Amino acid sequence: MTPENALLIAGGIWWTIIVTLGAFGLGAALGVPICAMHVSRSRALHVVAVVLIVILRSVPPIVWIFILYFGIGSGWLSIGPVPAAIVALGVITAANMAEIYRGALKSIHPGQWDASHALGLSTWSEFRDVMAPQIFRVTLPSATTYLIGLLKDSAIASTIGVMEITYLAGFLASKQFGASLQIFAFAGALYILISLPLAAVARIADARLRMKVAQ
Amino acid sequence: MERTGEARLIVEVKGLGKSFGAHKVLDGVDFSMRAGEVVAVIGPSGSGKSTLLRCLNQLEQHDEGLIQICGIGMQAGLPVPRKDMNDLRRSAGMVFQSFNLFPHMTVLRNISLPQERVLGRSRAQADERSRALLERVGLAGKADQYPARCSGGQQQRIAIARALALDPRIMLFDEPTSALDPEIGLEVLAVMQELAEAGMSMIVVTHEMHFAETVSDRVILMAEGRILEEGPSAEVMRRPKTARAQQFLHAVLNR
Repeated sequence: MTPENALLIAGGIWWTIIVTLGAFGLGAALGVPICAMHVSRSRALHVVAVVLIVILRSVPPIVWIFILYFGIGSGWLSIGPVPAAIVALGVITAANMAEIYRGALKSIHPGQWDASHALGLSTWSEFRDVMAPQIFRVTLPSATTYLIGLLKDSAIASTIGVMEITYLAGFLASKQFGASLQIFAFAGALYILISLPLAAVARIADARLRMKVAQ
Repeated sequence: MERTGEARLIVEVKGLGKSFGAHKVLDGVDFSMRAGEVVAVIGPSGSGKSTLLRCLNQLEQHDEGLIQICGIGMQAGLPVPRKDMNDLRRSAGMVFQSFNLFPHMTVLRNISLPQERVLGRSRAQADERSRALLERVGLAGKADQYPARCSGGQQQRIAIARALALDPRIMLFDEPTSALDPEIGLEVLAVMQELAEAGMSMIVVTHEMHFAETVSDRVILMAEGRILEEGPSAEVMRRPKTARAQQFLHAVLNR
């Protein structure tokens, strides 16, 4: 493993992070309305959300990427590889985050709604001040687990030419026959290196939040 | 405080009915109370006491009858205009059996946030009022704690302070001491008694017979969704007329 090779592969870290965080941000945001539809009193909205979640979760991520990039992207509207990867992974994340939010919502004591209503808080304040912070606390561990999974899934963006870690490693390996083991091992090590601090930050944040509300 | 005389009605309920599915929880409930009165609602579990209270501030929508509270009229089946709903929630403070403090906020924040959001008070104004109320319920030292670090009795007193901070005209208590040890419940009852003596209009759903008899002006005894007996506390509790009321009071007073 030469320093030049290492630097070249490490150059992919940025795209890996951009695709991962982009997809996670998109999914975390889109998950809110999908979850809201799922728990809505409207039967129609509920059914739409359930169908959406099943479709998004059943189709493999790589197929979503191909549908977006080669399918829709080639004919109807032009979409670059990076946005295609972010949107494809983002909508899958949205479905999963919607389910994570829904689980957290169920864990909130019904008295919290009673109190918010009885105090006359507006719907927005109820969401922003009372529910969202509590949901955030509950979802933190599972959302982090999902984020780390997403970091690894972002490698499939290499298939449509996003120059992230896996793409660059594959590119090098094809040029330098016989060095594949070191090259891919190094790529693997980079993923570990990125996910470790993520997990650590989440664990510390979780422990702090827990300490405040512990009995 | 003088409670007799020509005080106006703060609550008037006529023909109130409420069903959960096929189960009729409230059936033809009529009662009224004057401003400044303290009314205890007693009765066996499942008699509709809590539902009555929850209908009064529309945590539950009633199916039949008319509710007038603090000048706001609500006819069953008609939607309550947003402005009326806001006025209602502002006028009626509620205290729950399970306290329902916001666990992720400090005690001070629990009391100040609703003031800022609902009444538009500044953070400084709200905090000042919150600290005064914490002082009043004997918990000035708890302002910066989280609710989980407070005992049940302390949490309930904080919940009372939170409701009072919005300057309600009437306080609704839904079994405020039922989740507490009898001894701890006393500190909550003491705060409520003080509030009653200060002239607050109160409806208290409770199993505390001593409180019902000594602090409240009037007792309403409910069973199976109906008001069985109603009148001055001592009269209802010591000389009940109906057999069902006698049976209930005999059971709870001779424990």
